[in-house]
Amino acid sequence: MHVGLLNTLCDVLYGMAIHDQVRALTRHRGNLEHLFVLISFGDLVGVPILPPYYGMRLLPFLAPLLNNWKRRVLRERDVTDALF
Amino acid sequence: MNLRRIFEEHPERRYIMFGGKGGLGKTTFSAATAYWLASQGKKVLVFSVDPQASLSDIFQRDIFGKGPVQIMENLWAQEIDADQHIKAYQEEIRRKILDMYGFDSIPDEIEQYIQAASAEPAMEESAIFDAVVDIVVEGKYDYYIYDLVPLGHALYYLSMAKVYDEWINKITKLREEMREYEEMVARLKRQKETEEDRILSELQYIRGRINASSRILTDKEKTAFFFVIVPEEMILIDTRKAAELFARFDVPISGYVVNRVVPRELLNQNIPPYLRNRIQMQEKYLRQIDEMFGNQVVARVPELERDVTGLEMISRLAGIMYGK
Repeated sequence: MHVGLLNTLCDVLYGMAIHDQVRALTRHRGNLEHLFVLISFGDLVGVPILPPYYGMRLLPFLAPLLNNWKRRVLRERDVTDALF
Repeated sequence: MNLRRIFEEHPERRYIMFGGKGGLGKTTFSAATAYWLASQGKKVLVFSVDPQASLSDIFQRDIFGKGPVQIMENLWAQEIDADQHIKAYQEEIRRKILDMYGFDSIPDEIEQYIQAASAEPAMEESAIFDAVVDIVVEGKYDYYIYDLVPLGHALYYLSMAKVYDEWINKITKLREEMREYEEMVARLKRQKETEEDRILSELQYIRGRINASSRILTDKEKTAFFFVIVPEEMILIDTRKAAELFARFDVPISGYVVNRVVPRELLNQNIPPYLRNRIQMQEKYLRQIDEMFGNQVVARVPELERDVTGLEMISRLAGIMYGK
């Protein structure tokens, strides 16, 4: 009983104090990843930056990301993007 | 200075390269040098990265894409098949993707990328220089004689390696920054250590490879680079330009070898004006060469009465270049 209460209290505190911070950090990391994939595989959207020979070595690690990444780069943008 | 003394005084120079415009005798000199070193009891590998390689022709053996082939005692020759190398490399990448994610086949988009990337012009150069790293790093031979592709390619690769290196540094930093964020999040959530970033270790591996391949071309201690020239005006102008470019990329130039010198002694014979003119023209350019390069000219090799193919001719040429 007491343990359950303590856990809930911890979660509430986490939500109040830390969650936003974690979210911001994760988002920032996501942005960097976005840039990273662009530099490594810009070819996919017509922006060749890094010559592909060694870049290909990174392909296995980034393969699952590529589809989402492409959607993200190529999606339409408007002013409301800045709000979120 | 002469060619033989350079080898005797600098036994540490184990990567030997002959560079110069196409068709001036790079392959011939590579083969003769390999022959001479091998007959001195050194273990030698002479190899070529040129898709139109001519080691097969000069040794009169088909060695293309067959790995190191023994030609005689102590002498091996190898012609790298860049296409085959690229194919094997693509296959390795595909294998890895399939293994990592348990796919049955490569997703279309990724397959398309692999195909498109391999059509890039830089792909072949990179593949070739990467293959060279494997050969040289193994270190099985006393001497590696590198039958270079025409000058442009080597320069192109060197400049590419520089750009590459900078980019890799940049994205390594980016990756490290990403990792910091990841760790911060893990700390806030009181999670245990994040798992090792395999991309980061891959980037470090890539940087190591690029540095290794450009080091082979630019190592002042271990590399001897010889320019092959002939006494003709256009070649001299070109070579001077190329030498400046090479110097800018820190390629250590060990000397110039002049090829196709028509023997002067012929002037004492009754020869047609055509030949007489050629000899006089060459004399003028030979003087220019001496003025330009001074004691960096390490050998003058006469125009022989037949082309150099087969071990017998190679041996004769080695005798002319290095003395019996």
